[in-house]
Amino acid sequence: MIGALGVDNLVRVRNWPLPAAITATLAVTALFAYLYDQVVLRLAQDGRRRQEGLVITFFFTFALSFFIDGVAKILFGTDVHAAPALWNGNSLNIAGALHIERAGILVLGCAVLSGAMFALYIRYTLSGKAMEACGENYLGARIVGIDTRRYRRIIFVATAILAGIFGIVESPITGFTFISGATISVTGFLAAAYGGFQKPGRALVAGLVIGIAEVLLGGYVSAEYSDTLLYAILAALVLARPSALGFESAVGG
Amino acid sequence: MAPSWRLRPRLPGGGPLATTGLVLVAGCSAMLLFAQQYAGSVIILACTFAIVTAGMAVQIGFSQQIAFSQSVFMGLGAYGVALLNTHLNMPSLLAAPIVVAGSGLVALVLGSVVTRVSGLALAVATIMLPLIAVGYLSSASYLGGSVGMPLTGSLWQASTPGATLVGNGLITVAALGLVVFIATRILASDIGLELYVLGVDERTAAAMGVSTPRRKLELFVLGSAFAALGGAVYAGTQLFVPATLVNPTAELSLLMMLFVGGRRSILGAIAGALAIQYLSGASNWVSVNILVVEGVLITVVLLVDPEGLAGIAASLAARLRRARAAQPGGPDTAAPAPAAGQVAAAEPAAAAAGSAVGRAPVFGRDWAVRARAGGNPDIARLECAAIGKAYGGLNVLDGIDLALPARGVHGLCGPNGAGKSTLLGVIGGGVRPSAGRVLLDGTEVTRLPAQRRFHLGVSRTFQAVRLIPGRTVLDNVAVACLSSHRSGIASAVARNRLAEARDRAMAALDYLDMSRLSGQEVSALTLENQRMVEFARAVAAKPRLLLLDEPASGLSESQREHLKDVLRTVGEMTCVLLVEHDLGLIAQISETIFVLASGRLVFTGGPEEFRNSAVVNSLLVGL
Repeated sequence: MIGALGVDNLVRVRNWPLPAAITATLAVTALFAYLYDQVVLRLAQDGRRRQEGLVITFFFTFALSFFIDGVAKILFGTDVHAAPALWNGNSLNIAGALHIERAGILVLGCAVLSGAMFALYIRYTLSGKAMEACGENYLGARIVGIDTRRYRRIIFVATAILAGIFGIVESPITGFTFISGATISVTGFLAAAYGGFQKPGRALVAGLVIGIAEVLLGGYVSAEYSDTLLYAILAALVLARPSALGFESAVGG
Repeated sequence: MAPSWRLRPRLPGGGPLATTGLVLVAGCSAMLLFAQQYAGSVIILACTFAIVTAGMAVQIGFSQQIAFSQSVFMGLGAYGVALLNTHLNMPSLLAAPIVVAGSGLVALVLGSVVTRVSGLALAVATIMLPLIAVGYLSSASYLGGSVGMPLTGSLWQASTPGATLVGNGLITVAALGLVVFIATRILASDIGLELYVLGVDERTAAAMGVSTPRRKLELFVLGSAFAALGGAVYAGTQLFVPATLVNPTAELSLLMMLFVGGRRSILGAIAGALAIQYLSGASNWVSVNILVVEGVLITVVLLVDPEGLAGIAASLAARLRRARAAQPGGPDTAAPAPAAGQVAAAEPAAAAAGSAVGRAPVFGRDWAVRARAGGNPDIARLECAAIGKAYGGLNVLDGIDLALPARGVHGLCGPNGAGKSTLLGVIGGGVRPSAGRVLLDGTEVTRLPAQRRFHLGVSRTFQAVRLIPGRTVLDNVAVACLSSHRSGIASAVARNRLAEARDRAMAALDYLDMSRLSGQEVSALTLENQRMVEFARAVAAKPRLLLLDEPASGLSESQREHLKDVLRTVGEMTCVLLVEHDLGLIAQISETIFVLASGRLVFTGGPEEFRNSAVVNSLLVGL
């Protein structure tokens, strides 16, 4: 959201050239993520009163999302904005019948590229392994000499930049407002949850499947109720097979 | 007493009556003074949300059942009242209870589906509800679509607008008072202790006899009904139901109020709602930039104390008390007053000290009677027939047959990974076997969940100590002495049997000569004492079958000697199955010894044969 609105603002209002605007926005995003990690997360996780549990961590991010939404409202107002399209032109025709927006291809390309890069990073590099270790067992990772704080910083800044990039490529299609962030967070969280939190490859697939299912339901069943149906199906899935989807299952003790 | 820095500060709040009284008096005076001013409308709105967050404190904060469905039920309550009011011309005040009851029924049906899962799955499944509701509302024109729905009459209709405002305010405060009373009564009761354990660890709760599926459903219905009541009051006081009442952002706002205030405290939840509503209604730069302010506020509050404003207040109060106690000649406040939310054990502990001498033998006699009751000497206390357990293709247990008599200590040993703890799980009910049958006193219990077996007299400890942090030793033991397992959550409003449970727990502690520990918070104890507390918890239920998973690991030599003596005494009364790596200890106190290796029973016999057995020596001693 920051990516989209930031670039749009710089280009349209301040008349910056597009590449400079993109660089500046991503730099600000990264800097903010870095500072947040250094100040808040550091205090929260390494401070005198260590905060434990997934729930509290979620609330820090919820609070962050409220904060960013509020700042965005002040900076960019409440209108719908979109970053300028990066790849202009008519929609491409594939096999005569299928029309695909160029921006859509760009989004898909970015998704596959970043997902693949991250999966390769985790699987084939030492630092990727170290990062996975931090996620699996924080204390264990520290004991074997992994600087967990450094990895947390890296991953936090990296995801912020990644999100910024997607905002820029995605916004020509959908348009963003200052509260678009929350909706995207919820969808992203769901995709990550359905994919299993520790498996970026599966999360990517889950995200794609959820997205495609949404479009298909909208096209073939009912445009009006596509979201409703999708969410109902997702809820049914969790309830039917919690363990298969990677949720801890504690049914019946 | 433990060093005070280890003790968590107690959360504020007196008894249920005091808390409710405080809310009612403060609320009513605020209404009478400010109802006709702008501040009054902000307070009414805050109280409305406080009704919802107080329910969330019980469901989400205290019992850790994270459900994201509050805004949906708030919407159900609000739209329900609006519909009855506009379409049937029903007065809002009459419509509200009808709608709340209806929402409770809806919650019962929905809850019986969603509360089958726990933790993250519950959160994800319930977050779909507001998402679904948003989609539905935007196209439901009879509900006003994506705008909302107006009402024609408020909760209280008086002749003058001023009296109407005051009336509405008082009704709101009364509803809040009712909710606070119910919530605080439940939390301070024996069922409150059950809920606390459920929140910390569902499996331990089940092993201690808590009917976890039932409690989870009750919590869902309770939280939803309170949310619906909040929604009904919202509709009846605001005279308009905006569609934005139901969506994931509204859900987050409610959670923010709860967490800013203090997730485990009823008063905290109310304070959070007041704080956020006051800030949003302040009509200056704060309310314009409310998102920024909320974001910063919750970050700062959670950084200072994860228990929110209530936690901060409690820490301040504790610091004040210490400062006063430190002053020479100051009032003697060394023993902090017990509080409602996190109930202190000081009182029962003091009362118990006097009668400690008489109670321990009574406990032992009662136990011996219970352990013998209904027992037929010809029928084995425990019988396992052809037990098998496979995880995927891995056979952890394979054709285990064993039978135990009604009394005596029986050892179970074997190398790491032999399947000892799994077998204990199968007998205790935590693990469902893939094959075979488990019989208790000749009755088949193979399919019974852990809590039902607990009621039949099976009690256990865990390999890794599973105590309930944040509670005293006495409360940890009292978990096994609750008689509330079969009562509904609503019964806690009328009756509190926590004191009886604590009395029984104290008797068990006396019996094991541990009463000096009763007032300590469990995470401040040494590992040995933690193991002993877990042992006491298993014993306190006066079990007919006691399952112990490595009770001696981590204990010193002298502590093992003490444990040995205790186990000998216990073995004279009841049947004990002891998993242990200490072969010397096993051989000294066991009547029969079973050796497991790779999921099969490779040895069964008395201690003499055990010492001389070639199998045992090669497998366990390495000779």
